[in-house]
Amino acid sequence: MKYMIMMFGSAAGMMESKSKDWVLEMIAFMETLNADLTKAGELVDARGLADGSTAKTITFKDGIPVATDGPFAEAKESVIGFWVVDVESEARALEIAMHVVAFTHGPIEVRQVMDEPPEM
Amino acid sequence: MTTGPRIEDLLRELAPQVLGTLVRRHGQFDTCEDAVQEALLAASMQWAEAGIPVSPRAWLVTVASRRLVDAWRSESARHRREQTAAALELPGQGQASNRDDTLTLLFLCCHPSLSVPSQLALTLRVVGGLTTAEIASAFLVPEATMAQRISRAKQSIKSAGLRFDLPPEPERAERLRVVLHVLYLVFNEGYTTSSGPALHRADLTAEALRLARMLSQLMPDEGEVVGLLALMLLTDARRAARTTADGSLVPLAEQQRDLWNAAQVAEGIALVARTLGAVPIGPYQVQAAIAAVHDEAPRAEETDWPQILALYQVLERVSPGPVVTLNRAVAVAMVHGPRAGLALLGALDGDERMAHTHRLEGVRGHLLELAGDTAAARECYQRAARMTASAPEQRYLALRAAKLA
Repeated sequence: MKYMIMMFGSAAGMMESKSKDWVLEMIAFMETLNADLTKAGELVDARGLADGSTAKTITFKDGIPVATDGPFAEAKESVIGFWVVDVESEARALEIAMHVVAFTHGPIEVRQVMDEPPEM
Repeated sequence: MTTGPRIEDLLRELAPQVLGTLVRRHGQFDTCEDAVQEALLAASMQWAEAGIPVSPRAWLVTVASRRLVDAWRSESARHRREQTAAALELPGQGQASNRDDTLTLLFLCCHPSLSVPSQLALTLRVVGGLTTAEIASAFLVPEATMAQRISRAKQSIKSAGLRFDLPPEPERAERLRVVLHVLYLVFNEGYTTSSGPALHRADLTAEALRLARMLSQLMPDEGEVVGLLALMLLTDARRAARTTADGSLVPLAEQQRDLWNAAQVAEGIALVARTLGAVPIGPYQVQAAIAAVHDEAPRAEETDWPQILALYQVLERVSPGPVVTLNRAVAVAMVHGPRAGLALLGALDGDERMAHTHRLEGVRGHLLELAGDTAAARECYQRAARMTASAPEQRYLALRAAKLA
């Protein structure tokens, strides 16, 4: 079963509030995590995204699609990175997410990727 | 360098036999498996050019043994001594048949100590002879990830000290159950739409069928093995009718039955007839029998629902579970009317095991629709569409809801 593990936060906010040491530690943590997930045969993809402030949002206004600056959600924190993992159970996907949250303290959303076969 | 289908087929048939011979001779399942993979690769390239050798199996054993020696040479002397010692401790039961070797490998790959994804991947590579790249593309994961999954599974086999032996008699039935479940999962994984990236997955269905056929030749007296093969044949026979050109699902009742594969239906029905008297009867045999009753009906309206209901009652005795009850509710509805089916569904409402699946709501929607309660049916379909993790199924359920708007 594949799950998308979406990490929320703000890169800009992190740069302001965290020490250089913490950032280096965080980078090492992410690298180790990805290496471990690969070794376990579970990693499908992992990406970090540019800060939410650089996002453009396309909406449908007055009959045409329009691009505006900024992320879709009003909240200060938007998606800043994601993993797609192929794991045995939802419990395992949650375990990976909890491992990350224990380090970053930021919220994470876990959602199943639609790739199950239809029933026989 | 093209490899004809004949060479591919031959290599995949020989792969478990060659590996069995090597492991029996030298032990070290993981190292032998690497050596056999290399020999298969060499064969697929050389045979396409130079033709298939007179004794392809002996050719592969020779080349794989050479690779094995190379692998040993490249390791440290200390390591080598350890391995030689390990090799000497092998259960040297002398010559065993290819039949036993292939079976033993299958039981090893489906060992209960491995995770389910590992069992699937290892079985496809070791017994099915598929390459890591092929398995990775079938499961839509990067090749490196699948390579790690396989290597990890091999490591687990090594560190658990699992022996290259058929499981002893007392464990045999339970271990066979796991093997059949793995083949069933491979089949189900491939049993999906035939468009886009899903195309690769259809190959998994063919592979599961091939392995089930092989297993049924190895264990012709096991009713459940034959039952699983029959179930796969009877289900796969409907493949062409099961989806439209754009990948949308077509429910059984609306399928164009002349698109069904008549040869597969006939073979499946013959197998069901052969095993039905077998004792003890198991869940795959009963499910195959149910599939056979469906496939025997020339039109959906001619389906022998009382017979199907009787079979679901047997299935519920042999292998009780909420999904069986759910399917029985459909049969009850077809025999005694939708309200009777809905009443049975009520029993599943509090069942934890059904809380996270879309199936209960999907079936409830169908029965409510049959009962003429379109508003409630629509809500059920919408709920079910939100719950499924299968894209074609979501589309199907959403469409059914939309039709009732």
